Amino acid sequence: MLTKALVIILLFATGLGFLPMENSIRAERTRLKYQGARVTYELREALGQNLAIALLAGLRGVVADFLWLQGHTFWEKREWLRQYRDIEIVVTLQPQSVLFWDLGQWHMAWNIGYGARSDPNNRTQAEGIKREREWHRKARDFLQRGIENIPNRYDLYFMMGMLYYEKFSRDCDEPPCRDAFCKAAEYFARAASFTNAPQFVARMYPRALEQCGETEAAYAQWRLLWFQDHNKVQQAWNIIEREIRQLEDKLKIPDNQRVFPKNKPPS
Amino acid sequence: MTELANHRGETTPSPTEVQTPRPAFAPVLKERVGFSVSRVWIIAGNTLTEAVRQKVFNFFLIIGLIFIASASFFAQFTFGEQLKFIKDTCLGVISVISTLIAIVGTAQLLPSEVENRTIYTILAKPVRRIEFLLGKFLGSLSLLTISIAAMCLLFGAVLFIKEQGMIRELRQEFTQGMPASDMADLNQQIRQVPQETFDVNLVKAVLAELMKATLVAAITLLISTFSTSLVFNVAVPFMIFVAGMLRGAAAEVWADRRILMALLAVVPDFGFFSLADEINMGNVVPWSHVGQILVYGVARTVVIVFAAHLIFSRREI
Repeated sequence: MLTKALVIILLFATGLGFLPMENSIRAERTRLKYQGARVTYELREALGQNLAIALLAGLRGVVADFLWLQGHTFWEKREWLRQYRDIEIVVTLQPQSVLFWDLGQWHMAWNIGYGARSDPNNRTQAEGIKREREWHRKARDFLQRGIENIPNRYDLYFMMGMLYYEKFSRDCDEPPCRDAFCKAAEYFARAASFTNAPQFVARMYPRALEQCGETEAAYAQWRLLWFQDHNKVQQAWNIIEREIRQLEDKLKIPDNQRVFPKNKPPS
Repeated sequence: MTELANHRGETTPSPTEVQTPRPAFAPVLKERVGFSVSRVWIIAGNTLTEAVRQKVFNFFLIIGLIFIASASFFAQFTFGEQLKFIKDTCLGVISVISTLIAIVGTAQLLPSEVENRTIYTILAKPVRRIEFLLGKFLGSLSLLTISIAAMCLLFGAVLFIKEQGMIRELRQEFTQGMPASDMADLNQQIRQVPQETFDVNLVKAVLAELMKATLVAAITLLISTFSTSLVFNVAVPFMIFVAGMLRGAAAEVWADRRILMALLAVVPDFGFFSLADEINMGNVVPWSHVGQILVYGVARTVVIVFAAHLIFSRREI
């Protein structure tokens, strides 16, 4: 009996001794932005009992994946709101997952948006367009939250740029909707500033600038891309050359200032 | 004759000496053996052999392997989604199965020895109880390591198959008349596939899972030193594990209730060892953080095994 009492005292005493270490690990996890939202009663209700148990057992990723798969099924059944609810829960569970923010906004802006526009229950075509634009705005707000959670990756800035470039540029009533392209350019510039961003991200920035009306800035950006070291930087150089030639013609750049002079003899 | 004997240098006990009884502890002190690492390893080896022969271990391992192998069936989704699902599922299965093996595999180590009466034979030999206990624990640890290694091998194979499939798909696009301008982008994508598939950080997640399972095994060993009921030995460590998983949430909710938190401190925070989610999401998991967690796990394990030794060394067998 004495031994058991001694062991209990030992375990409690050492447990207390471990508290500073545990607090330090917890502080480090908070600093590194680990784990998602706290498991509240509302979250438990939203997940259901089985998934809540799995969540508490440390299988947060598996639960999020399961809900994502379930959301995919809702999408196939054209049950948009249910899919949207699942997407929201998934990003609550794993707010640090780029994949879920990225694909979540894509589902909203591209799939759900199109589905809402072409819904046969719409009374008029205008109603469909209105509903589609609502989903675009939802996707933008959603993605903005994603960027606030993960500001240190290029992916979500690029997707926000694409959202403005592809969707909001068509949402305004008076084309050419330059504001949307200018916004897209801002986000592409942010995305391209990351060293690990793929090569196509850097090319989207001058494209958006051109659509925004900043043709000279776009030309300057294409030149910057072209004058990188071709042996060190991987790029689609033929695309850049094509764009530069096109803009040099459009801006009527004097031959002696062109990157690709017109009367240059073929090498 | 006595005189002769004395002359020869032989000692003859005097009558008083003969009558004095020897202290009871004297022979024990003389025969007490020192700590032997080789004996610990022998017991660990035998424990491992016995454990591997158990049906329950094979059952869990096969279930785990089936789940991991089936993780490759997420084929409808983007490559990023597929990879995430595979990694989450496989690491989740490794976590669950290793915890179950740690509990079930360790819970019956001591009770089965007592029930089969083999413990009497072993402890009658020059084997110290701490050697026996450590041997059992290390045997259980070896079992966990082997199980996790087997699951990791299959996990690696699933990832390799997925990676090769993805590269094959991308290369097929080359042959389908892709414009030359897109070739550079495609090349870049192909180069990124292996980087995204075989993330070196996955090793950190597996190490943390092994540490978690070791700690669970140590707790189960502690419980089994004073309980002979298999059900009790399985149920209590499982409940402690669940409580340990909830400690993080408790620390957030009851941060201001210091006495309660002090009482809860007896249970290790198992949530620390769940690094898989962070790694799969692409979060930075520095080695310093992994090291901190491993030190925490080892320190907790040492204390718990020591507590188990205290109980087992004084247990009447």
